[in-house]
Amino acid sequence: MYEALIVGLILGGLWFLEKFFGTCMVIRPLVVSPLVGLALGDMQTGVIIGATLELVFMGAIQIGGAVPPDALVGAGLGTAFAILTGQGPEIALTLALPIAILAQSIKVLLFIIRSGFMTPAMKYAAAGDIKKMKMLNYGGLLLQSFMYFAVAFVAIMFGSAAVQSFVDHIPQSIMQGLNVAGGLLPAVGFALLLLPMMNLKNVLYFVFGFILISYLNLPIMAVTICGLVLAFIVTYEKGAANPRMVQVGNSDGEEDLFDE
Amino acid sequence: MSKEALSIEDKKLVMELFKSSFMLEGCYNYERQQALGYAIAIWPAIKTFYHTKEEQAKALVRHMEIFNTTPHVLTAITGVNAALEKEASTNPDFDTTSINSIKVGLMGPFAGIGDSFFWGTLRIIAVAIGISLAQQGSAFGFILFLLLFNIPHVIIKYYLTAAGYKFGTGLMGNAKESGILQTISKGATIVGLMVVGGMSASMVKLSTPLEVTLGETTFAIQGYLDQIFPLLLPFLYVLGMFGLLKKGVSATWILLITIAVGIIGALIGIF
Repeated sequence: MYEALIVGLILGGLWFLEKFFGTCMVIRPLVVSPLVGLALGDMQTGVIIGATLELVFMGAIQIGGAVPPDALVGAGLGTAFAILTGQGPEIALTLALPIAILAQSIKVLLFIIRSGFMTPAMKYAAAGDIKKMKMLNYGGLLLQSFMYFAVAFVAIMFGSAAVQSFVDHIPQSIMQGLNVAGGLLPAVGFALLLLPMMNLKNVLYFVFGFILISYLNLPIMAVTICGLVLAFIVTYEKGAANPRMVQVGNSDGEEDLFDE
Repeated sequence: MSKEALSIEDKKLVMELFKSSFMLEGCYNYERQQALGYAIAIWPAIKTFYHTKEEQAKALVRHMEIFNTTPHVLTAITGVNAALEKEASTNPDFDTTSINSIKVGLMGPFAGIGDSFFWGTLRIIAVAIGISLAQQGSAFGFILFLLLFNIPHVIIKYYLTAAGYKFGTGLMGNAKESGILQTISKGATIVGLMVVGGMSASMVKLSTPLEVTLGETTFAIQGYLDQIFPLLLPFLYVLGMFGLLKKGVSATWILLITIAVGIIGALIGIF
């Protein structure tokens, strides 16, 4: 009971700190494992496991919308089971990755649930109520922190064997459905963003940006530069035929547009 | 770019923007990603430049659009954005949709630079040094790792706020001349649309495992789609949702439809 509670508090607390302080890396295995070790009375093992798992989860970072295997839960529970069962670092390695992949689906679910937070957020914004918006932001953060607490608490109460068999028995179709929905949801945000900007006259710029990536696989930086070049051509070069624009297109303005 | 020092009020604003930028991902979600965190991060500027509740509400709604960048470099964008809001609050001719276009134009490149510097470079260096200590069993490994990452993180974040604000002010200084605002607005829309197009292609994920068997041969439909137009399904989906919004369907409905399409589509095996 004490072990489940303390590990749960560590994972929930670390997540809170991570997003309270601008993604400050406290959820990396290198940090999580020693703290879990310290709480369970074997910091030395925690430090060693942390170093090993950090290498395993090196690539598990969240960039853009993709959710990686959850290093926080993987490292936290892997380390806890290794110390509690006395089986050493090997068990941490074998458990951490499957647990992390399972936790990844929970996170996808949470991101879907929090999409529902955006409806009240819009309402508060329309009312100019920044206080409620800030509370909602804290609410979202606390919900996720609590999720980590609950996952760790339940997993440790049931023990490593139960967790292993649970991981093996989740219906693939459910996880698949959540992943498809998660992959599709950014479309809603982009459509909302396009709503005031796009019309029949300029839809081709959107298409152009899309195909630069879908056909040519360019990085987003290259798409932006292409956009700047195109914007320059359309506004300055073509505008130069117009006498009003000549006077406007002085060198100062051009310099600033590209000076970033 | 203007090189003049910031006034005392400007310095105060920069400090507030810096302080309000840390909880960007508190409510990260699929629909609008970091939007709520962004609106909160830009609030000090809104509060400073707009004085009626209605104007403040309008600005907050404007900043609830989808947003995504590397959290560590957010302040460069809120800095530029604050200068634009200052202009918008005093100049009735200012087209506020260009604020969002400029934001979108900035978030892509800053995510690119930010991800490769903070995740790819600084983190790797900090991890390498931290791990070498941890492997010897030293608990200082993780403390050193956190310090090596976060000291540059906080310092860079602060200086980017001031740099962004100065850059935005410089841009708007030139904008006082006639016609420049329309030019910036038009140009920003072009860049913005292209970046949103690009981000839609890289972030919206949809493909089909469907196969058609004709006689003895099996054709994977996705393979054909890829030959006609790679990422056709995400492309159509974004445009479809845009069309529904244009027709007046609410964002909440679109969200629910999308979740249903994803889960049901996976259950019956078409996605």
